[in-house]
Amino acid sequence: MRRYVINRVLQVIPLIFGMTFISFLIIHLPPGDPFSKLQMDPQISRETIQQMRKLFGLDKPVVVQYFYWIKNVFTFNLGTSFSYHVPVSFLIKQKLKNTIALSVFSIFLTWFISIPLGIFAAIKNGKWEEKFLSFIAYIGISIPSFFIAMLIVFFVAKTAILPIGGTTSIFYKSATGFEKFIDYLKHLLIPGISLTLAGIGSLFRLMKNNFLECLNSPYVITAKAKGLSMSKVYYKHTLRNAINPMITIFGYELSGILSGAALVEIVTNWPGMGRLILEAVLSQDFYLVMASLLIGGILLVTGNLIADILIAFADPRVRLR
Amino acid sequence: MNILEIKNLEVSVKTIDGNVKILRDVNLSIGENEVVGLVGESGCGKTMTARSIMKLLPENTKIDKGEIFLQGEDIVKKDEREMRKIRGGKISMIFQEPSSYLNPVFTVGSQIEEAVKGIRDKRERRERVYKILEEVGLDRSIYFRYPHQLSGGMQQRVMIGMALVNNPSLLIADEPTTALDITTAHMIIELLKKLMNSHRVSILFITHDISLSVYFSHRIAVMYGGKIVEISHSSEIFKNPLHPYTERLIACLPERYRKGEKIKAIEGEVPDFKSLPPGCPFNPRCPYKMKICEEREPEERKVGKSIVRCFKYGNTVEN
Amino acid sequence: MRIFLRRLKKTNKISFISFWIIVFLYLLAIFADFVSPYPYDLQHRDYPMAPPTKIHFFDKEGKFHLRPFVYKTELVNVAFNEYREDYSKIYPIKLFVKGKKRKILGIFETDRYLFGVEGEGKIFLFGTDIHGRDIFSRILYGARISLSIGIIGVSISFFLGLLIGGISGYFGGKVDAFLMRIVEIFMMFPSFYLMLALRAAFPINLSSIQVYLLIVVILSLIGWASLARIIRGMVLSIKEEEYVQAARALGIPTYRIVLKHVIPNTFSYTITALTLSVPGYILGESALSLLGLGIQEPYPSWGNMLSVCIGNLRVLTNAPWMLIPGFFIFLTIICFNFLGDGIRDIFDPKKW
Repeated sequence: MRRYVINRVLQVIPLIFGMTFISFLIIHLPPGDPFSKLQMDPQISRETIQQMRKLFGLDKPVVVQYFYWIKNVFTFNLGTSFSYHVPVSFLIKQKLKNTIALSVFSIFLTWFISIPLGIFAAIKNGKWEEKFLSFIAYIGISIPSFFIAMLIVFFVAKTAILPIGGTTSIFYKSATGFEKFIDYLKHLLIPGISLTLAGIGSLFRLMKNNFLECLNSPYVITAKAKGLSMSKVYYKHTLRNAINPMITIFGYELSGILSGAALVEIVTNWPGMGRLILEAVLSQDFYLVMASLLIGGILLVTGNLIADILIAFADPRVRLR
Repeated sequence: MNILEIKNLEVSVKTIDGNVKILRDVNLSIGENEVVGLVGESGCGKTMTARSIMKLLPENTKIDKGEIFLQGEDIVKKDEREMRKIRGGKISMIFQEPSSYLNPVFTVGSQIEEAVKGIRDKRERRERVYKILEEVGLDRSIYFRYPHQLSGGMQQRVMIGMALVNNPSLLIADEPTTALDITTAHMIIELLKKLMNSHRVSILFITHDISLSVYFSHRIAVMYGGKIVEISHSSEIFKNPLHPYTERLIACLPERYRKGEKIKAIEGEVPDFKSLPPGCPFNPRCPYKMKICEEREPEERKVGKSIVRCFKYGNTVEN
Repeated sequence: MRIFLRRLKKTNKISFISFWIIVFLYLLAIFADFVSPYPYDLQHRDYPMAPPTKIHFFDKEGKFHLRPFVYKTELVNVAFNEYREDYSKIYPIKLFVKGKKRKILGIFETDRYLFGVEGEGKIFLFGTDIHGRDIFSRILYGARISLSIGIIGVSISFFLGLLIGGISGYFGGKVDAFLMRIVEIFMMFPSFYLMLALRAAFPINLSSIQVYLLIVVILSLIGWASLARIIRGMVLSIKEEEYVQAARALGIPTYRIVLKHVIPNTFSYTITALTLSVPGYILGESALSLLGLGIQEPYPSWGNMLSVCIGNLRVLTNAPWMLIPGFFIFLTIICFNFLGDGIRDIFDPKKW
């Protein structure tokens, strides 16, 4: 077990190295030097440019620049934002926590809804309940997340039941800790529900198919032949096996969740990484773009790592090889 | 009294093309402490017979007619709740591939323990599992192992232990040695023989291997096209096979060849249940085919101590 | 093709319907010049955010007209975006109505459109946007972008995926390990982040054609990785198939094995995978255009038509018809999903 985890963690290192390289390459590969433009920008002070030139080797060849950048990345210096005139790491720290809050909230909600529904549909396979749920799931899969968010914002704007945009209300400063938490949650609801609705469909389908597959597997016949009750057959023998692939899938789904989160953030005006990277792109803020891409990638790698470690706990075949 | 008596059992499966009968007029009895072999090519209805006795038929498949008496009680009439007590209690079952029939995510001990009936106390249950593990020739430490850590033979021993933990009166063994290599298979058969005597359990031994069946069983039932075509004592069947199909099956056995002889196979194919020929299901492949074989299905008749369905032995109904 | 459709109809009704909806949408896009009543950039200054025009059969006196008609509308309250119908005159809706000369696909010239109203009356089936442009017409023109990018993007990705996945699977060993690491790295970026970063590498202000090509390139660069992985897996498994081994043992040259055995066997799977990946490209384009990084005004795409709804609650609540392009994105995606599933069912031998 310990060896498996260590092995898995070690695999991540070259991956992250590769990601830094790709992140850097994407920005620097196209013809034209993005930094010559910077020097002409009157908003950026001479000193900043001087300082960055020294730190990031801006006057050196691109390959050398990469090593400058990498060295800085590992000391958590991600460069300075040209448009905000503050360190990139400061901006990211501010937004990252909102993105993580949104993603975690919606992941929990999505699983909480789609796993029981998937089991229910698998048990009712072929009956109208299953057909109805599967059809709804199909619609859910096909609606773009940003469009769901727009529809929800439209609905909320019409009814004015929830705050739209931002993370806090005006009274935030005077509120107590608990009130602050509730206020934050209230603001989280619109983006959170949008992202959840966008994710339920595919997770539901996966869970249904997994459960069906396990339900038809030989060990379920054994369990029945032992004379176990149906609830034990379903919720012990079948469920434990059906949930394992879901943990692996979680790693893959995470990419979609992070992408969806970014779009939903922009549509619902939730201040997270999505808005940050969009604004960075619009203002051609290269260090911010590179860093955001890298952070997004690292989030995904971490999620996958967690999924792989969880699967080792859940599945003895992985744990005890 | 017989442990099990199946009378006129009919089972059908619902398909897109309508109902298809897969078991027709099956009659079979198993006595106390007796091993009955059920032999036939794959797809002839052996497993369906076994699943009917457990009342664990696949979806869309159901018992249309007939009775299955377990120690005098008809289990066809029993509901799901009563069946749950019988499964793993009075009747239990082992399967072809132990590796896939054991749940991969639980320890084998806990899977056996789960099957224990009638003992509430946790420690006593645990003791019961340890005892049965020893009986099937495994160490108690196996309790904490997962299925994938055991060899095929050990997995099958676990399955056998799981099946016998409640001292059932009938064990259905559905091709228990097919997936194992020959020495392991032999050991499993010897184990079953030993446990049969110590647990006083009757066994329905399903296999496609007629010589293995002869070695292990007291009586042998040969199945073809969803029907039992012959039931004979195993000491008789090699010497004097009655049904043409049995005759062919035995003629195909490799140990019957002399050097240089060509390999025989039964000509034709196992019929599909959807398109059974009229009359006797074996008639397209039968070397003794008569006119009547295509017109009527032969009834069961007694020839000596055996029962056979074939017009070779007269075409009048006699009981 | 005929056999394909017949099978589709038999195995999966919804997929069959989806197929025809997709065909219909493509026809609308191709003949947008003929079908749309107004040019995509024509601003009706008196009709900003006008609601969809009501189509009537009964006039004010309750008299029935066989030919449906519309009333002229007038903006009466700017703050609440209220329009009122003027009942004094009816404007019948006519087929093949005459108008300004336009070129269909830049080839045939026509001065007749599929339908419209003459004179002072206007027909806005889906209402107008904030500049008073007809949303229905813009959706038809926007379909050209959204629908073509799916196909072109998938083709390029597929080509890249086939090349890299094929090389990887065929040669195996170190080449395979190296290429698959790269694929892995690409797949380890959230696709939206990667998309924006790639977009950032190029200038914001580009001409429409440039942007279009850029979007295709970006989406293909994101999509190739997963396709390459799928194709590599297929090549690996087919390489081990007995018939390929047999062909090799017979001394048949590699390229012939690939052409005669490998490609036909991956065909069904590839078609399914391609159909099911079209929605991803449509989504990618809409997302980029929605954020103002894709197709630029005044040219419409389903994505950029929605961008006015972001953070603009007044527009959203007063003119919900602005959301209609979103329904078209949804419709197209669900049809492609159904079609992909249907194709999979057809090729799945278990379903026969």
